[in-house]
Amino acid sequence: AAAGGLRRAGWRLWRGRAVVRCQHYPPLRAVQASATLRRASDEHKKEPLTSSSQQHFDPPPAGDQPEQEPQGPRPSYTGQGGQESEDYESEEQLQHRILTAALEFVPEHGWTAEAIAEGAKTLGLSVAAAGMFHSDGSELILHFVSECNSKLSELLEKEQKLVQLGEAEKKPMDEFLRHAVEARLRMLIPYIEKWPQALSVLLLPRNIPSSLNLLTSMIDDIWHYAGDQSTDFNWYTRRAVLTGIYNTTELVMMQDSSPDFEDTWRFLENRVADAMTMSNTASQVQSTGEAVVQGLMGAAVTVSN
Amino acid sequence: CRCRALLSRPAGRLRARRGLAAGPELHFGFQTVTEEERREKIYQVFESVAKKYDVMNDSMTLGIHRVWKDILMHKMNPSPGTLLLDVAGGTGDIAFRFINYVHSVREQQLQRKLKHHQNLSWQEIFESYQKDKFNSLGDSQVVVCDINREMLKVGKQKAQHLGYSEGLSWVLGNAEELPFDNDKFDVYTIAFGIRNVTRIDLALQEAYRVLKPGGRFLCLEFSHVSNPLLSRLYDLYSFQVIPVLGEVIAGDWKSYQYLVESIRRFPPQEELKAMIEDAGFFKVDYENLNFGIVAIHSGFKL
Repeated sequence: AAAGGLRRAGWRLWRGRAVVRCQHYPPLRAVQASATLRRASDEHKKEPLTSSSQQHFDPPPAGDQPEQEPQGPRPSYTGQGGQESEDYESEEQLQHRILTAALEFVPEHGWTAEAIAEGAKTLGLSVAAAGMFHSDGSELILHFVSECNSKLSELLEKEQKLVQLGEAEKKPMDEFLRHAVEARLRMLIPYIEKWPQALSVLLLPRNIPSSLNLLTSMIDDIWHYAGDQSTDFNWYTRRAVLTGIYNTTELVMMQDSSPDFEDTWRFLENRVADAMTMSNTASQVQSTGEAVVQGLMGAAVTVSN
Repeated sequence: CRCRALLSRPAGRLRARRGLAAGPELHFGFQTVTEEERREKIYQVFESVAKKYDVMNDSMTLGIHRVWKDILMHKMNPSPGTLLLDVAGGTGDIAFRFINYVHSVREQQLQRKLKHHQNLSWQEIFESYQKDKFNSLGDSQVVVCDINREMLKVGKQKAQHLGYSEGLSWVLGNAEELPFDNDKFDVYTIAFGIRNVTRIDLALQEAYRVLKPGGRFLCLEFSHVSNPLLSRLYDLYSFQVIPVLGEVIAGDWKSYQYLVESIRRFPPQEELKAMIEDAGFFKVDYENLNFGIVAIHSGFKL
């Protein structure tokens, strides 16, 4: 149950909202120094993962074991065992590492279990570790999407800081939206050949809740940094419109063969301009309507008098 | 229900159920025996059924065991280059399926590679055929390990008969004390064998030892049916039909009585999952097939 909740929280993790320390195994298991789940402290020392510091019920022969981790894998039956487990990375973190390593094999193998297996190999794990994930590569794609989203958030955050410090000009709304969507879509360029496959996997019923969640949170982020503070129905229309713009631009990008995707950016520019015009038109219609109503009221009052 | 129960004391039974020989009393079906006796008896059981093992499997499970083993293979989803250790793999069912699976995956891989290199000359394509012909398994290998000589003999004969030669090795060994080095294998499977191991915890520890980091442990075994109606039908079938089939087809009532009783004595899904976790595996999970008649447990050495 903890693992399931953790997975859901894991997507939020990438938005930097909450850092969840996961330790879902009881202290007894920390006694077994696992071979691959490294301590968080070791991430800074580039130690090779082949140091198999496993537990044997016989004392390990000193000679033929490869370099042991400095803290030593000695079993500790005291409360220290529980404390040590805090520093070990969790299974989720290991999975994230494997998926990140697998991304470099995607252009060659596609979004498949093979790419994940290759990624596991580069981390020094057996290819069988790919069995931890679903065989259609869904987790790899979702991981990639959530990584892109967090990169986008960081980018927008940095730019917002610059604006606040006065070092950059605040962009007008349409240019900001264009810039954000373009930056996000550019992250797809290295994987553009296999992206249609990824899109189809994201649309599988099993994946729709997660992919929809990621999409909506990304759009929400963009609007947040654009300065949207609406509390009325505008909130929904704005997000719906931007989602539409994003999705259609993504599809155009799939079959765009112009140099550096110029056609796509031009399409994006036009759609954003349309959206702006529409919102202007909408407010114009509203004010015209109000004016007309006032006129009629005035006329009625005059006539009655 | 017709169980010949010489049940031991509850404490002994508990220990026996967990397969931990803290005391000298263990179960052999519904009988109580010592550790040595148990090993002896199980060896004799499989010695006598070896020749008719496959035939009996088909008739007892109405051929469904083939589907179970196929599902296990699909779950494993091995890629070319995988090193598999099949323990208690006697007659080689899992090993042959592994070879077939890897072979077809390899062919798909080669086809995709060829598609990519559309601009090669005919000479180069021909040369790549030559090179890959000797690598049709992509360096995958399977080692079949069994404690029983007779079962291994039957397995080797089957391999010869079916034409499997490449990537296959046969080793005599005890699951509680494997004759292999640490960190050797990518996948460790034990299909319908762990029930017959006397010290399950030792076998699990050995599995942990010989697996590479990131390696996978897969166990296919009869397990407990929770659905009460199905459970009654299953019991009826097990105790009334199977020993009779054993007598008629293999001429061996007692072995099949042992088989059925040992299934009832085996720990249920959650307990086996806990034991696998105790051995140090992570992400331990199980999948029930046929409502729990069979379960596949999976764990990773992380």
